Amino acid sequence: MGAAAPTPAVRLSSITKHYGPITACQDVDLALIPGEIHGVLGENGAGKSTLMKILIGLVQPDGGTIELAGAETVIHDPQTAADLGIGMVHQHLSLVESLTVWENVLLGDHRRFDRRAARDEVMATAEHYGLVLEPDWRVSDLSAGLRQRVELIKCLRRDPKILILDEPTSVLTPAESEQLFATLRTAVAAEQRAVALVSHKLAEVLHATDVVTIMRQGRVVERTTTRTATATSLARAMVGREVSLRSSAAAFGAIDVVDAVAAVAVDSEHREEVLRVDGATLSRRGVLLLDGLSIHVHAGEIVGVAGVEGNGQRELGDVLASLVALDNGTVTVAGTPVKTGRAGAMARAGVAIIPEDRHDSGCVLDMTVADNLLIDRIGRVSRFGFIRRSAQRTRAKQMMSEFDVVGAGPDSTFGSLSGGNQQRVVLARELSNNPKVLVAAQPTRGLDVGAIEYMSGRIREAAAGGIGVLLISTELEEILDLSHRIVVLASGRVIGELNRVDATSERLGLLLGGIANTVESGGTSDDAS
Amino acid sequence: MTRPDPQRLRRTMALVGLYVLSVVIALTLAAVLIAITGGPWQKVLKALLDGSLLKPGRWGDTLAGATPLLVVALGAIIATRAGLVNIGQEGQLTVGAAAAAVVCTSFSGPFALVAGLVAGVVGGAVWAALAALLKFGRKVPEVITTLLLVFVASQGTGYLLTRTFLLLDPDPNKPNRSQTSAQLGTSTRIGRIHLFGNEIPWTVVGALVLAIVVSVVLHRTVWGFRLTVLGRNARTAQRIGVPVVIAGATALALSGGVAGLAGAVMLTSGSANFRLTPGFSNNVGWEGLLVALVARNRPLMCIPVAFVFGALRTGAGFLASTGVERSIVDVVRALLVLAMLVPPAILALWERRTSPPPAPVSTDEPIVSVVTA
Repeated sequence: MGAAAPTPAVRLSSITKHYGPITACQDVDLALIPGEIHGVLGENGAGKSTLMKILIGLVQPDGGTIELAGAETVIHDPQTAADLGIGMVHQHLSLVESLTVWENVLLGDHRRFDRRAARDEVMATAEHYGLVLEPDWRVSDLSAGLRQRVELIKCLRRDPKILILDEPTSVLTPAESEQLFATLRTAVAAEQRAVALVSHKLAEVLHATDVVTIMRQGRVVERTTTRTATATSLARAMVGREVSLRSSAAAFGAIDVVDAVAAVAVDSEHREEVLRVDGATLSRRGVLLLDGLSIHVHAGEIVGVAGVEGNGQRELGDVLASLVALDNGTVTVAGTPVKTGRAGAMARAGVAIIPEDRHDSGCVLDMTVADNLLIDRIGRVSRFGFIRRSAQRTRAKQMMSEFDVVGAGPDSTFGSLSGGNQQRVVLARELSNNPKVLVAAQPTRGLDVGAIEYMSGRIREAAAGGIGVLLISTELEEILDLSHRIVVLASGRVIGELNRVDATSERLGLLLGGIANTVESGGTSDDAS
Repeated sequence: MTRPDPQRLRRTMALVGLYVLSVVIALTLAAVLIAITGGPWQKVLKALLDGSLLKPGRWGDTLAGATPLLVVALGAIIATRAGLVNIGQEGQLTVGAAAAAVVCTSFSGPFALVAGLVAGVVGGAVWAALAALLKFGRKVPEVITTLLLVFVASQGTGYLLTRTFLLLDPDPNKPNRSQTSAQLGTSTRIGRIHLFGNEIPWTVVGALVLAIVVSVVLHRTVWGFRLTVLGRNARTAQRIGVPVVIAGATALALSGGVAGLAGAVMLTSGSANFRLTPGFSNNVGWEGLLVALVARNRPLMCIPVAFVFGALRTGAGFLASTGVERSIVDVVRALLVLAMLVPPAILALWERRTSPPPAPVSTDEPIVSVVTA
């Protein structure tokens, strides 16, 4: 960076934040220049989010200073930040579902306003940034992409000098992401706003930013102009070592790398069908969650279920975990029909599950690792109904070494493990059951790169060993990386199916985008996209 | 065995320190309160110790009084373990005692005694099962139903005691016989151990054995393990094949059954002169719940806690001589309960302040959400 750089809109200097023994940020410097999109890149837990929370006053730093337009400032709380012209679009959207778009946009304003004028103002802001949005839409009817648009407009209407976007694409389809970046580039940056784009995806940082700061373990490890960076150089800085595996590329969202690799075709026609879901229908409180969904998986095959979040993935996972009973439809495992919703029936039939949210249905946080490893087979280490602790511990240790669960003993509480290790415990348990089917729902969400590589490798191995794998994921890269066959889910049913060799990110994106469009129009989705 | 973990050790030390501190504060407060109400606290303390332990025959009484408290607490733990909150022990105990009274006043002999105890278990279990039925059939929270059934139980038992063909003492010669059952015959009374001038009912031994059994069953058996999984994460339990409804209902009924047993034990060991009377339960159900609370749901910890609570009960009887209100004991007990509950809470708050918040759990709302009309 040149010495004659323009005055930054905000400059963070030597920001430090500790949480007990853990250092979230250590001597972090960051300067956001007006008119520039600044990428903040790092793995989960690198300190990106803490830094941004400090910037908008949610967290107070232990040390360091914040300068706004050259003047040192203390940001006490988010309200102060808003008054100072700092706006943030959070990763988890915070809208009131039962209110309309314009009501949400105005929420938090302290003044009297004229309904019509307010609506017009919202409309004008939306049009100004080329964001199509009807002020009278009710937020509960909107797709995730549109909701984010509402948040963005809410921020922009207050004319922020500094705009922070935290992992903005995690709920978007590729087309929606593209649109978001276009808006950021042409409108926001052109208006001399300083933008921070927080992300762990290489591809979008490369694509959408001018400058990139890479964080690792709470420190800034590299800062460079995006023009001179490459995917490999960024990945190396982010992880701190050379990464070449496809899975890591996928983890960083570098679709191009994934696309370039020819997928291995599996001759599924001649293999046994291990899982068949037929016409699965499920509704709750009048909302159709699964709408005649049919999927089948052969032994040794990885079937990817792609789709924008909230289109029936969670319900499909719940059905295959025996957590809910279908209103209609059947599930057949290796030729045997299995009653849905009966406790443990799927597990007994040979369905292993890596649940979407392991804290919800995968484990018990305040029991030990050994308990969690053998939670469904405690009878195997028992005699006359009494648990033999020594046998349990021995077996648990065996499983832990087999699946590289490190940093804890069998007697530690499960909740004290890191996310990656927790996921390994779940994986170890599920795969040690000799399952016929493995359902992996968002198996790598929230994990660091090493753990992602590991999980992906294990899933491939499982398939190679003859297990039929159903991979439910909203990460397109993950689906493309692992699957042999891809089905696309929308509004609780399958709207498209592709063999991996025919699938490109563009084609899949189109299928997903088609869904987004039908949801946007508020009508029922039809199969054509 | 695991390596000694300095952090864990420090935590334990802090917890013990906090316990000592809060008990001292509670006792000081109690002493101040007693002084305000007019008695010298030394005298009150002496009366309490005399009444519960020191005077001849008193520690036997204390043991006898602690027994139903312990049994009730053990029952409460079973429900808690399964993630259910049973706070209706007072009612389940009353129903258990009434069922035992029916059996033991109608028949005699050692078999009648056993049958009476069994009837107590069944009575309490049925009473708790009503709550289970409402919980799993109609989704009515068991906290509410178990609590309200207490009042139904006491009113219902009161009615039983107004009709001679039901439970009212048929003996026309007994003066002031309204709402009192017939006295149990000697053959249906629990035997007593005579020890250093104390009379201890055999049920004390039974309750100790029960505490060990409950502890082993909950911590060492497959059944207890599955119940624990259910209590801590019902969805995981469903996934691994614990039938949530059946296991939950069983635990709740069992919990009530144990409370009912406590009622039968009270009746047959003569806590109200071997008769069922209105107000027979005498808050034992509520206090047993407190015992479980203070023991932090550990069956073996309940033994000393129940003893302390029993001592407060028997000691209170000696307070009259000091001129201090008997109800001061309730205040002391309440202060002690608070003193036992506060330290872990303080520690948790303190830890939350000094350590990072837990890793964010995915809380993404499904996009297909309820469309409000």
